[in-house]
Amino acid sequence: MAKHGIMVIDDEKIVGDMAKLSLEQDGYEVETFLNGESALERLKTKRFDVVVTDLKMKGVDGLEVLRTVKKLYPTTVVIMITAFANLDVAIEALRDDVHDFFPKPVKIKELKASIKRALGTAAK
Amino acid sequence: MKIVNKIYLSNGVHILLIVLIGIFALHNLNTILTKFRFIVIAEGLNTAFLEMRLAEKNYFLSGDDEALVSIKIRIDQTTETLRQVQQPIILAVGNDKYWKLRYYLDEYAQLVDAIDRAHIRDPGAQKELRQVGQNLKTFSEDITDLESEQIGAIIVHSKNILLYSFWAVVLFALIFSNVIVRNIGNSLSKVVGLTRSISQGNFHTIEAKPSGDEMGAVFSAVNTMAEELQKREKEIVQSKKLASIGVLVAGVAHELNNPLNNISMIAQTYAEVYDSLSREDRISFMERVDEETERLRVIINNLLDYAKPKEQHLSRMAANPVIQKTLALVQNMLDISNIKIKLGLARDLPDIYIDVHQIQQILVNMATNAIQAMDKGGVLSIDTRFVPEEDTVEIVISDNGKGIAPEFIDHIFDPFFTTKEESGTGLGLWVSYGIIKNHQGNIRVKSEVGVGTTFIISLPTCNKLGIA
Repeated sequence: MAKHGIMVIDDEKIVGDMAKLSLEQDGYEVETFLNGESALERLKTKRFDVVVTDLKMKGVDGLEVLRTVKKLYPTTVVIMITAFANLDVAIEALRDDVHDFFPKPVKIKELKASIKRALGTAAK
Repeated sequence: MKIVNKIYLSNGVHILLIVLIGIFALHNLNTILTKFRFIVIAEGLNTAFLEMRLAEKNYFLSGDDEALVSIKIRIDQTTETLRQVQQPIILAVGNDKYWKLRYYLDEYAQLVDAIDRAHIRDPGAQKELRQVGQNLKTFSEDITDLESEQIGAIIVHSKNILLYSFWAVVLFALIFSNVIVRNIGNSLSKVVGLTRSISQGNFHTIEAKPSGDEMGAVFSAVNTMAEELQKREKEIVQSKKLASIGVLVAGVAHELNNPLNNISMIAQTYAEVYDSLSREDRISFMERVDEETERLRVIINNLLDYAKPKEQHLSRMAANPVIQKTLALVQNMLDISNIKIKLGLARDLPDIYIDVHQIQQILVNMATNAIQAMDKGGVLSIDTRFVPEEDTVEIVISDNGKGIAPEFIDHIFDPFFTTKEESGTGLGLWVSYGIIKNHQGNIRVKSEVGVGTTFIISLPTCNKLGIA
């Protein structure tokens, strides 16, 4: 069985590093990016099953990543994380078909459960 | 005193003056009339006395006995006339002269009686009668002349008094209306000055003794309005502060959440992958935790530094030297970015009352912003000018950089608002704004995308602040 590919985008390097370590433990293939631009560049050549992205980033932000992903790969699941716990943005993100929304600090177990759930849904 | 009452008083004084003048004129006219009546009577008397004297001559020189009879008839007529017009004559010439005239006439009458009884024509009697007759005639003519003179004098006197009174009334009216106008004018200009200063945001009240007049009422109304406005402004500032605290707190939450999240994720991952980690890996994990806590510490320290109300060390300063000194601080930065500086410092600026370090902090901040907004080869202009209408000194900092988008303009003084890709804390302009407000000054911004940005810092002069 091919490994599920997960893309993690956050301008905080530790977020990517830790998510990668933890998710690879569970058998996912993880690529991390520090900004939206490089992630969008990578998305042109590779489809990921799950994209975990920070909402607030300089330049290309999480919402733009979400829109691009949904345009390129409608079945890819997008999970949003942010340090800016703003409900309005969350609602807008959900309306734009985001799978889940995590305010920082992120509980990795919950994130994993959400990913598992998403992949289960996607597999159907 | 109320202005209305002042005007009533003035009108009252005018009416009183006019009534007094009227009474005076009436009195004089009455006097003249009395004297004139006497003169008319006296002319008759004088004629009678003249006729008596002629008859007297006829008696002595022509031996005409009838003449004596005619004298006696004239004496009786005259005495009767004098008795009848006793009152008007006394009014005109007084008691003494009237009775003296009567006395002279009686003396003459007695003498005529004696001559008639004795039927004598000797020169002694003739001389005596002539003497008494002469006395009578002269006295009567004298008082007539005197009264004529007095009429003339009274007319001249009246004319003068009326003339003086006229000027007095005119002068009083001029002085009084001048005083009232000046009074109202002074008060109005005070009110105008106050409202002008209120519209500039200074809520001073008029410190005038509360006079009981209408202007006093206007003053107290304006003062109340100023106090109310000040209260309202404080409320608005307070609510703005609350709003800005909201923005600040949200910003703080974001700033703190990132390192907190990092620590949390490190801890969670550490526990999860503990068994597969080497000793060096574990140490590296803990070092990263330490780095994140250090990051938190820096953020918190910076915040505290900004939030701490620093004591101001205000002193009287000229604006231009402060700018020159600040330029020395940023010269290196300007050189590296190859940015030219264009100074337009006005001469003879009035002094301002500032904390030099705080103002330098702002200027460095503004210069840094400008440099970051410009490409190499840009021009940073710093101008100073005096604004006499507001009694302020303005420091104008302009760049020809990329400008601020209109949708950001309203937020540039918000805490944590930044348009800089990295390195911006979003606190610089927020802090600058607070400092300028603490200096009772004002900061404005004008910007056009692609053209440049201008910040105008306006600071009150020492004179405006009442600092010697």
